[in-house]
Amino acid sequence: MFLNRLLLTQFKNYAFQDISLSPGFNCLFGHNGMGKTNLLDAVYFLCMTKSHFGLPDSSVIQWESEFMRLEGHFILQGKAEKIVAKVAPKKVKTLERQGVPYERLSDHIGLLPIVFIAPDDTELLTEGSETRRRFMDNTLSQLNPVYLRELLLYNRILLQRNALLRQMAESHKKNTALLDVYSEQLIKPGQYVFEQRKAFAAQFSEIFLDFYRIISNQAESAGIRYQSALSDHALDWLLRQNLDKDLALQRTSAGIHRDDLECLIEGMPVKKFASQGQRKSYLIALKLAQYELLRTSKGVSPILLLDDLFDKLDPQRTAQLLELLGGESFGQIFITDTQAARVSTLLPSLSKSYRLFEVQKGGIQLIAESPSN
Amino acid sequence: MNFSSKLIEGAVQAFATLPGIGRKTALRLVLHLVNKPVEVSEQFAEAILSMRQNIKSCDVCGNLADEPVCGICSDTRRDQGLVCVVESIRDVMAIEDTLQFRGLYHVLGGVISPLEGIGPNDLNIDALVRRAESGSIRELIMAISPTIEGETTIFYLSKLLRGKPVQISTIARGVAFGGELEYADELTLGRSIVTRIPYKMQED
Ligand SMILES: [Zn+2]
Repeated sequence: MFLNRLLLTQFKNYAFQDISLSPGFNCLFGHNGMGKTNLLDAVYFLCMTKSHFGLPDSSVIQWESEFMRLEGHFILQGKAEKIVAKVAPKKVKTLERQGVPYERLSDHIGLLPIVFIAPDDTELLTEGSETRRRFMDNTLSQLNPVYLRELLLYNRILLQRNALLRQMAESHKKNTALLDVYSEQLIKPGQYVFEQRKAFAAQFSEIFLDFYRIISNQAESAGIRYQSALSDHALDWLLRQNLDKDLALQRTSAGIHRDDLECLIEGMPVKKFASQGQRKSYLIALKLAQYELLRTSKGVSPILLLDDLFDKLDPQRTAQLLELLGGESFGQIFITDTQAARVSTLLPSLSKSYRLFEVQKGGIQLIAESPSN
Repeated sequence: MNFSSKLIEGAVQAFATLPGIGRKTALRLVLHLVNKPVEVSEQFAEAILSMRQNIKSCDVCGNLADEPVCGICSDTRRDQGLVCVVESIRDVMAIEDTLQFRGLYHVLGGVISPLEGIGPNDLNIDALVRRAESGSIRELIMAISPTIEGETTIFYLSKLLRGKPVQISTIARGVAFGGELEYADELTLGRSIVTRIPYKMQED
């Protein structure tokens, strides 16, 4: 699977751009602030119906423009897939596949699997559990459309339940019957999400360990562990057990919205005990494991977006990683870098085709490509 | 727009407060009335005023009514034991248009959504319970939109009505009624009411 051609209209700092891409490596060089990352985000938007950076839709529109439009021509298992995304203020965001708008945007998730490795991914290791739940959800949503539906259902009912808990505290009036309804409605999607995350973590941690061994070149043992209160008790029990606490706190205290995916080195949390280098290796291994899990489960190579990845990597590890990415199990890859030489000197020795682009103030130009293109 | 007349301007402003009417359209309507005999305006104003002053909410079902009890509830040819529970008055009109339903209605006035500040007490629920307790109703059809909030409302009502002498059914889910009941095409909507299914409460 790969993106063959991309057209951007008034997307972030691009007024208009039409670029043809390589099914192998696509490297975007240029200074910071020129729009390299924005281009990756455009690709991500077409696959996941939203910005990778959690931006509101209105902010992907170019400054002082009326709308934005992205058009991607993908090749999926030999077949052309035209995907168009449109955003305009006060209008419903639309996503079209082959000219037909989706009724629900979530139906698109998983068609074009994608993995984004960004500099701020270190949050995965240093921040609270929400970032790691999002990582699990991102992967599972691309794998299984039912997962995303059940998760959205759970989240909506949870919001309503919490709103009710707040209102009950404010008005000093209890409506236990309605609270019971929400509790019961949470059970089915909650248990489903738990089972899926549990199965995911088991499968994922093995793939992760393989990658971590390759990337870290080190002997220390790493581990991934799924943490959920549902491992010990059914959600039904947890909700009943925590009822008084929930009423006091005015929010739902137990459930899959509190899950975590623990990241360990030598049995200790990475957050506290790992060095910078270990963290970087850990992160790359996490993301490549996500990639591999998506690839083997879906039977297509996802698109891989590497934003500024080589910046803090020594030349030896850059070469090693590029060699890995040049292998057969990887498909189309987008790389951004402030220095062209770092990557471009290594690419010709790999068997994969490539295209090199220069990005300047919202303009992209092809500067070189592999002979096979 | 600048008007030479404060009277015209006042009327334009009044029309423009209506949904879907911009200032341009409002001006066209006002000029139309200006060009017609004064009686036309009198009848127009009288129709609006008398509607607004006299329109009632049916004591039984919450539908719009001229009398304390609406035309549907007081129609003895309709099946008094079969009640269709809907969110809004517009849903009543949509279902009436199908000509497939000969029972009565109960208008809730919305669905339960604490996020939007709508709790069970804000809806026409107590009256529904009283109707169900009276013994005159055999079956309640929940024709509520298949959103999460709609599901919650049906679930809540069915718990509230447990032990009351009524059967509860829902209109078939898979039916594509594209979100809002009022937009459903008449045929599908009509059929889904005819082929409704008994409501199964989640295990508790
Ligand atoms: Zn009535």
